[in-house]
Amino acid sequence: MATSTELIDRALALAQACDRPDLQRRLGLVRERVAAPTVRVLVVGEPKQGKSSLVNALVGAPVCAVADDVATVVPVVVRGGAEPRAELLRTVPVPAGSGADAGPVERIPVPVHTVAARVGHGAEGHEQLLRAEVELPRRLLAGGLEIVDTPGVGGVGAAQSLVTMDLLPTADAVVVVSDASQEVTAPEMAFLQRAAALCPNVVCVLTKTDVHPEWRTVLELDRGHLARRDVDAAVLPVSSTLAALALTSRDPELHAESGLGVLVEHLQREVVDRAGVLAARSLRHDLTSVAEQLRLAVRSELSALEDPAGRDELLRGLEEARQAVEDLRKRSSRWQQVLSDGVTDLMADIDYDLRDRTRVVTREAEEAIDAQDPGPAWTRIAEWLDERVGAAVADSFVWAEQRSQWLAEQVVEQFARDGGAALPELSVGSGAEAMDMVVEVATIDDGAMSLRERTLVGLRGSYTGVLMTGLVTSLVGMAIINPLSLAAGVLMGRRAYKDDQAQRITRRRGEAKTVVRRHLDEVVFQVGKQLKDRLRLVQRTLRDLISDTVDEMSQSLADAVRAAQQTAKEATGERDARARLLRQRLLELDRLATDVGRSIAEPVAAS
Amino acid sequence: MTATAPDVRALPGAAGARDLLDAALEVYADVPEVTARLRPLRERLDEPLRVAVVGRVKAGKSTLLNALVGQRIAPTDAGECTRVVTLYRHGAVPRVVLQAHDGARRSLPVRRVDGGLQLDLGGAAPEDVACLIVDWPSAALLPATLVDTPGLSSLSTETSARTDDFLGVDDGGPGADAVVFLTRQPQAEDLAFLRAFQESSGAAGTQVTTVTVLSRADEIGAGRLDALESAAAVARRLSADPAVREVSSAVLPVSGLLALAGRTLRTGDFVALRSLASAEPATVAAMLLTADRFTRPEVAVPVSREVRLSLVERLGVFGVRLAVTLVRAGLPDAGALADELVRRSGLAELQRMLTVRFTERGGVLRTAAALRAVEEALERAPGTEGAGQLRSEVERIRLETAELAELELLARSGPDGPFPPVLRDEAERLLGDRGTGPAARLGLPGTTGGDALAAAAHEHLTRWQQAAADPLADRAAADAAEVVVRSCEALLADLEAGPEG
Repeated sequence: MATSTELIDRALALAQACDRPDLQRRLGLVRERVAAPTVRVLVVGEPKQGKSSLVNALVGAPVCAVADDVATVVPVVVRGGAEPRAELLRTVPVPAGSGADAGPVERIPVPVHTVAARVGHGAEGHEQLLRAEVELPRRLLAGGLEIVDTPGVGGVGAAQSLVTMDLLPTADAVVVVSDASQEVTAPEMAFLQRAAALCPNVVCVLTKTDVHPEWRTVLELDRGHLARRDVDAAVLPVSSTLAALALTSRDPELHAESGLGVLVEHLQREVVDRAGVLAARSLRHDLTSVAEQLRLAVRSELSALEDPAGRDELLRGLEEARQAVEDLRKRSSRWQQVLSDGVTDLMADIDYDLRDRTRVVTREAEEAIDAQDPGPAWTRIAEWLDERVGAAVADSFVWAEQRSQWLAEQVVEQFARDGGAALPELSVGSGAEAMDMVVEVATIDDGAMSLRERTLVGLRGSYTGVLMTGLVTSLVGMAIINPLSLAAGVLMGRRAYKDDQAQRITRRRGEAKTVVRRHLDEVVFQVGKQLKDRLRLVQRTLRDLISDTVDEMSQSLADAVRAAQQTAKEATGERDARARLLRQRLLELDRLATDVGRSIAEPVAAS
Repeated sequence: MTATAPDVRALPGAAGARDLLDAALEVYADVPEVTARLRPLRERLDEPLRVAVVGRVKAGKSTLLNALVGQRIAPTDAGECTRVVTLYRHGAVPRVVLQAHDGARRSLPVRRVDGGLQLDLGGAAPEDVACLIVDWPSAALLPATLVDTPGLSSLSTETSARTDDFLGVDDGGPGADAVVFLTRQPQAEDLAFLRAFQESSGAAGTQVTTVTVLSRADEIGAGRLDALESAAAVARRLSADPAVREVSSAVLPVSGLLALAGRTLRTGDFVALRSLASAEPATVAAMLLTADRFTRPEVAVPVSREVRLSLVERLGVFGVRLAVTLVRAGLPDAGALADELVRRSGLAELQRMLTVRFTERGGVLRTAAALRAVEEALERAPGTEGAGQLRSEVERIRLETAELAELELLARSGPDGPFPPVLRDEAERLLGDRGTGPAARLGLPGTTGGDALAAAAHEHLTRWQQAAADPLADRAAADAAEVVVRSCEALLADLEAGPEG
C-alpha cells in the first residue's frame, strides 16, 4: 500500500508532466503539512494542581519545573524530535528611551535537563522569557503531538488567563488539571465551560490520586457536575507520582495503577487519531482534486484527438465553463458577497457585543463608586474591575470565535454551490474540510502566535498604565485638595468643613467614574482591534483559499481549451503518439485516484 | 486554647463599650435601622469572642475546627459538606439549635456517629437557615466561639453566599469578630474576600482581625516526608508578600488532619502503627505508595483492613507515613506519638496566634467595633437628642484606651505606612503585633527577668522619643512615633507596677 508521501510524489510528478506549477505549489504545501503534523494539547489548571508533574509524567522526563511553591512561570512546549533539544525564547531587552515596546525575540539553546530550573520561579532573567521549547524522541510525541504546559500563576481566573484563552482555538485538545483533594470549584467550572466552547476536545484530569483515599468519590462528583452542565469532557484519574515511579522501577503494575496509560490512550485515540483522520481527509481531498484538475485537460485533449468532429462542441462547453469560473472570480459573485456581508456584520456585532458587555461593567462599577468613597477603596475597585473585564473579554472571545467559524462554513457552502453549478466535474470540498484548513493555518503560524501573545501583554501593560494614572490622578487630586480644604475647615468652621468634605467625595466619585469609563473605552478599543484582526485573518484565509481554488479551476479549463485547439494542427503520426501518451497519463491519474481512495481511507494515514 | 478558663463575661477593656452601646440604644430607640445594627453588637458583648473559620471549598475548615477543639464535632466528608453556617460554643450539655432567617429557633436532636456529630437540618432547606448553634462541653470552646462556614468559590453559589452573608461582607455588621482564613494557595479572590471582611468589621481592626492558614500543609509535595518543612517555607514567602501582608497579619502552615489525628490518637492506633513499623520496611513502603494499596484486602502485614481503612481516613497517607517513621525512630507510646504529631502539625503556633491576636485583645476588638458602629449612627442621625453626650463619650473612650490607638496604627502600618522601612518591624512589635506581653513586645525571650525588660523598654523609649521629636520627620511619622512612645511608657508603667507583667 502506498504511503502518503509516495502518493504526493506521484501527484507531483504528474503535475510537473502536465506543466501545472500552481498545482505543484499546492502539493508542495501539502507535503510539508504531512511531514510535520502538529497536534497541540494545552495543559491548564489552577496553581498547585500538578500540571507540570503531569506533563513530566507524560513525556517521561523532568522538563517542567515542579516545586512546592508556584513553579512554572512561562509556557513550556514539548514536542517530538530526533534528538533531545531545548530552546528558551526571550525578548531581547530594549535599551531605555529607544521608543520600541518590545525587542525582537531570540532563541537560546540550552541543555534539556536545565530547562526546569531555568523556567522556574525566581530563575535568573525569567522576566524576559516568553516560553521554552523542548524536543524529545518519544513514541507518544511522534504523531505530531505538542504538549503545552501553561503557567498556573493567577489560576484560571479570567484576567490572567487571557493568553490561554487566546491559545485555545488553535489547540486540538485541552487538558484541565484538578487534583483529587476536592471537587471542581466555580472558577474551574467556568473555565471548563469556556474551553468546551472554543476547543473540540476537553479532558479533565484528576491528579494526585495516590494521596487522596477518597478520589473515587471526588471523581463521581466531578463527572456529575460536568454532566449537569452539559460539558462534554472525560474525567480521568491519574497519579503522576506513581507514573514517574513506574518509569524508574519499570513496574508495569504501578504504571497500570497510575492511570497514565488510560490518559495516553485517550489522547492517542481522541486527539491524535482524530487529528489524523482530519488530516487524512484533507489530504485525500487535496490529492483527489489535483487528480481531477489534471484529468480535465488530459481528457479534453484526448477526446478532441479521438473525435475531431465533436471538437467544436467540446470547445463550446469548455468555454462556457470557463466563463462560469470567471464569474466566480468577480467581486460580485455570491460567495464574495456572503463573505464581505458576513464580515461587515460580524465587525459591527463584535463592537456591539463588546460595548454591551462593558456597559454592564461600567454600570456596576458606577454603582460601586456611588456606594462608597472611591478614594480608599480604589485598589479594590480596580481589582474587581480587572476581574470583571477579564471575564467579559473572555466571553467576547468565545462568542466571536464561534461566529467567525459559522461564517466560514456559510461562505464555503455558498462557494460549493456556485462552483458546483459552474463545474460539476470538479469537487469543491465540504465546508468542514475548508474550516480545518483555516484552523491549520492558525496553528502552524508560530509568528502570529507570539505576536498575539505580545498584543495581549501589551493590552495588559496599557491596562495597568491606565489604572496607575487613574490612581495617581485621584491621589494627586486629594493631595491638592487636602491642604486647601483643611484651611477652609479652619476658616469656615465645622459645618462648612463637612460640606466641603461632601464636595470632595462627589468630586472623587466623578474622577473615579471618568477613569473607569476611559479605561473601559481603551479595553473596547484594544480588544475590539484584536478580535477584528482575528476576523480579518479568517477572512483573508478564506478568500485566498477559495481564490486559489478558482485559479486552479480556471487554469485547468484554459489548459483544456488550449489542448483541444492544438489537436487540429498536429500531424497524424504525432497525433497517434500524443493520444498514446495521453491515454497512458490518464491511466496513471485514474490509478492515483484509486490508490488515494484506497490508502487514505484508513484512520491512521501512514506517513 | 489555653487550659485555664477565663471568665468570658469580663472581656478586658469592654466595660466602656457596654455602657456606650446601652446609652446609644437608648438615644436611638426610635431609629430602627440604627438599633438593628447596634443591638447584635450589644448582645454579643456578653458572649465570648467569635472566630470564624473561612476558606474555599474543601480547604479543610471543618477539620481544622475539630483539631482546635480536639474532638470530631464538625462533620467532614470527601464532597462539599458544610452547607450552613454553624456556631460551636461552650455549653454544659450538648445541644443543637437551628435558627431560621425569620428569627424562629428550634432544637434539633443531637446525634453522634463515629464520635462525630451528625448535623441534620430536620427537613429545613439550607436557604431558610440563618445558622446552627451547637453547644458543646469542651474547655477549648471557652475563650472563643468557633464558627464553621460553607466554602467560598463553591459550585453552588448559594452556599458561598451564605458565608458572605454571615460575615457581613456585603452589608451591615459581621457575625464574627475575627477570621481564620484557610487557603492552599492565596489567590486574588481570596485576598479580595479578606479585604471585604476587614472593611465590614471596622476600619480600626483591619489586619489584626485576620490570620491566614496555609491549610492541608501535609499535602504539599504530594505527601513527601518533608512536606511540613516545605509548607513552612511557602508560608514564609507568602508572609513577606505585600499583597498578603496588607490583609493578613501572619501566614501559618497547619495540617488540620495531622493535628486532629494527634489529638484523638488511640492506643489501638498505636499498636497498629507499631506492627507496621516493625514489618519489613520495603513491604510497608510499597503499601504506603498510595491510599489504594494501603487499603487492599490482602497485605503482608498483620493489620486488619478495617484498622488500615480507619488509619488512612484519619491520618491521611502522609500522616501514616510520618507516624510509621516516627514509631520506627523509637517513640515509645501513643502519648508520645500524639504529642509529636500535634507538634509537627503546626497547630500549637496557630493556637498561640489566636490567643495573642484575638482572645487577649477581645475587649479591644469589640470596643473598636462598638465605637465605629456608634460613630456611624452619629453620622447618620446627628441631630437626635443626647447625641452630643454620646459623641463626647466616644471621644473619652478613644483617649482612655491606648490599645485602640495601637490597633489603628497597626492597621495602617504597611509598606506605604507611616513608619520608615528600617523601623517598621520594631514598631509593629512594640505595638503588640507579636503578642501583648512585655517580653513579646520587646522581642525578648519569655523568661527574661524584670530588670532586663525594663532596661530594654527604657532604651526603646529613648529611641522613639527621638524619632517623635525628629524635626525632619513628616507629620504622620511623628504622630505614629508618638503612639509607639506611649506604648513604651505603658510598658514601663506595667513593669514597675508588678513583676509578673
